[in-house]
Amino acid sequence: MADQTNTPVESVKHYVRFDLSQRIEHIVFLLSFSLLGLTGLVQKYAESPISQFIISAFGGIENTRLVHHFAAFVLMVVSIVHIINVLYRVYVLRVSWSMMPVIEDFKHLFDDLRYYLGLRKHKAYYGRYNYAEKVEYLAVVWGTIIMAITGFMMWNPVTTTEYLPGQFIPAAKAAHGAEAVLAVLAIIIWHFYHVHLRHFNKSMFNGKFSEEEMAHEHPAELEQIKAGKMDTLPPPDVLRRRKRIFYPVAIVLALIFGVSLYGFITIESTAITTVPPGETAEVFVPLTPTPRPTPTVAPSPTPGEGVAANSWDGTYSALFRNRCSTCHGTTQVGGLSLATYQEALAGGNSGPAIVPGNPEQSVLVQIQQQGGHPGQLTDEELQQVIEWIEAGAPEN
Amino acid sequence: MTRQVLICVIFAAVLLSGALLISSSPGTASSLNQEATPIPNLSISDEYCSSCHGQPGQTLTLGDGSTLDLYVDPLEHASSIHGSQGYACVQCHADVGEYPHPPFQAADRRDVTIQLNSVCQRCHGSQYELAHDSVHARAQAAGNREAAVCSDCHTAHAVQDWVDEQTGETLPEARAIIPQTCAQCHSAIHAEYLTSVHGSALTDENNPDVPTCIDCHGVHNIEDPTTAEFRLASPQMCAKCHTDPERMAKYGISTDVLSTYVADFHGTTVAIFEKQSPDAETNKPVCYDCHGVHNIKRADDPEKGLQVKENLLATCQKCHPDAQENFPTAWLSHYIPSPDRYPLVYYVDLFYKFLIPTVIGGMAFLVVLDVSRSAINLRRRRQVTRQPEGMSSTLPSDEGVEAAQDAADSPEAQDVSESKTALKPPPTPANENPEEEADRG
Repeated sequence: MADQTNTPVESVKHYVRFDLSQRIEHIVFLLSFSLLGLTGLVQKYAESPISQFIISAFGGIENTRLVHHFAAFVLMVVSIVHIINVLYRVYVLRVSWSMMPVIEDFKHLFDDLRYYLGLRKHKAYYGRYNYAEKVEYLAVVWGTIIMAITGFMMWNPVTTTEYLPGQFIPAAKAAHGAEAVLAVLAIIIWHFYHVHLRHFNKSMFNGKFSEEEMAHEHPAELEQIKAGKMDTLPPPDVLRRRKRIFYPVAIVLALIFGVSLYGFITIESTAITTVPPGETAEVFVPLTPTPRPTPTVAPSPTPGEGVAANSWDGTYSALFRNRCSTCHGTTQVGGLSLATYQEALAGGNSGPAIVPGNPEQSVLVQIQQQGGHPGQLTDEELQQVIEWIEAGAPEN
Repeated sequence: MTRQVLICVIFAAVLLSGALLISSSPGTASSLNQEATPIPNLSISDEYCSSCHGQPGQTLTLGDGSTLDLYVDPLEHASSIHGSQGYACVQCHADVGEYPHPPFQAADRRDVTIQLNSVCQRCHGSQYELAHDSVHARAQAAGNREAAVCSDCHTAHAVQDWVDEQTGETLPEARAIIPQTCAQCHSAIHAEYLTSVHGSALTDENNPDVPTCIDCHGVHNIEDPTTAEFRLASPQMCAKCHTDPERMAKYGISTDVLSTYVADFHGTTVAIFEKQSPDAETNKPVCYDCHGVHNIKRADDPEKGLQVKENLLATCQKCHPDAQENFPTAWLSHYIPSPDRYPLVYYVDLFYKFLIPTVIGGMAFLVVLDVSRSAINLRRRRQVTRQPEGMSSTLPSDEGVEAAQDAADSPEAQDVSESKTALKPPPTPANENPEEEADRG
């Protein structure tokens, strides 16, 4: 970010630090960066409940990705504007490359370390940009390049794998995510500390630095300004000549960047938008069952002799088995089994279930007449049983 | 004696309340139906029924002119779970009464099956209710009479026991029968299943580890598998077995398949969809979109296996029609990157594992030093209040800068207001300007 000379404005008290275009660049960059960080990190850490909340606040993962892509587009536009802006400054205005790291920056860092350890009374004597600012700017440049390249790969994996091995895509994803973590942490720890916590530096918003702020933050630059050893505007004819060369170059550059950016976001449609079909086999294909032989119709038979006769064999063995055998079969609850005629006569713990000729003495009748038995006979069935016992409870 | 009666009463009460509970749990539908179901006349023995129905040749002419065979093989019934446990014909066929039977009318054979279906509910209420929520019951309700009812799967008279009552699990000998049962209606899908790694292991060796139909589709409350909901939940369904280390170790299959899928773009998306909008559609693939639905093959199958490069590319191209030769390796094939597999990914990860702590640690280190120094300076300044200091911010000399720096230290400390009262910097032209003060924030 080679910059134009700081010139005193209004009175001698204020110095222009960032012109309007730089401030706009910063605002747009910070907005798109924040949006990218937010919508990106929630994808990297998608399982976390906070991410889930943010993703649903954006209206789902597909919307979150749309916002991420949109913010990426904005950030790339502002990066292109910045490149052209820098070219203007260094070619037309011939300002010095004050953002480039020089040996002096390492000396400053060394001096500051000595200052922190109490071996020096004051901090290093910073120029226009100190090492902290240079590190941050260069980290942004590096990060933006990495993010744009890896972002392109993930956005356009089919195109990328036409030229590169497939594993570049997951590698790009790894780098994109890790770089994002690095950038966001650097912003929080480095940037927030230096320009918000340590001292709220508003020059990026209002463009100005007071003389005192200059003295605190950039004393060497202030000294240079005072000494008049600053970059000065070139003469108008030189300026005009340079602009004649710059503008066509800038237009061509802008076109190249613009077309590339357009390609970046439209070069491929990676996948179909329809849902994969799932099972395509026919669902209902019944097997033809083996046909049963057509029955030869026989005359309706009469029910067998003895069936339904008023005897143990004819009726009551079936009635008790169907009604009672869950408890009074093999399990013999209360010692009672009604499986056979003999067992029914023998009865259970409470006495004989059936006493032929004497319903009152038959425990089965006693229990059934109380009602509410788990295997309760109907009134008709019970009456039938009583009549059968009165008739001597014949077995067959 | 009285104690025995008491015990009997308690026992009866427990049984009765249990019966009440069971009968009341299925809700209103069953109680409504129970009204319609007559109490069986249990004095009618099976012998009575089989004296006619045990002989071939009994038929009933149905509404469409077809004949219904009324013969029931007594042996078939006797060997069924119902027959072997002594359940009587009339416990299901409760409304036929004694001979002659009340009139019975049905449009056709299917109508007979559907009409008789509700009798299962009397004893198997909970299963009946579950089945009521199934895709079959919904199809039936929508007028598709072919949709399966109880006896289509369980048969009417040859019902077998398929469940181990102790464990509630499907009996091993029943597992092979399940796909055959479903195949009665879904024969095309069954044919696919038989060719799959799962189906062939079941039919060839009665392998107990592979899924039958019901392991994925459920038993009675079988869901519609074509919904977005089923699709989004399906990875968890596959994961039930495929993340089970014991089961997978036998076949040397990785249990990382779910975690590696969820870590990738496709899986992340599906997992988020499943959590946030389980009934929404997404075009991102689930397990079966790549591996096949019923015809899942071994990964090294030469025809379909996804370890074979051409097969994987063809699979990718189903959704990525423009994908070329290199494209499939963009997917890590369920591997965790290592120096041997996907080394580029591994080393990028490794690089950042060092870069991030180094850069952030370095920054944090300098920030902490700066904060500490400011704090130390502030404390010293408070001790030596109002120590005269020559300061001129405009002086380029070392002395001037030092003074400027020292002065700057005080507002840099967090407690600005306090530092200002404690240490008012010596007046400078800048300090006298109220606008400048405001600018400082």
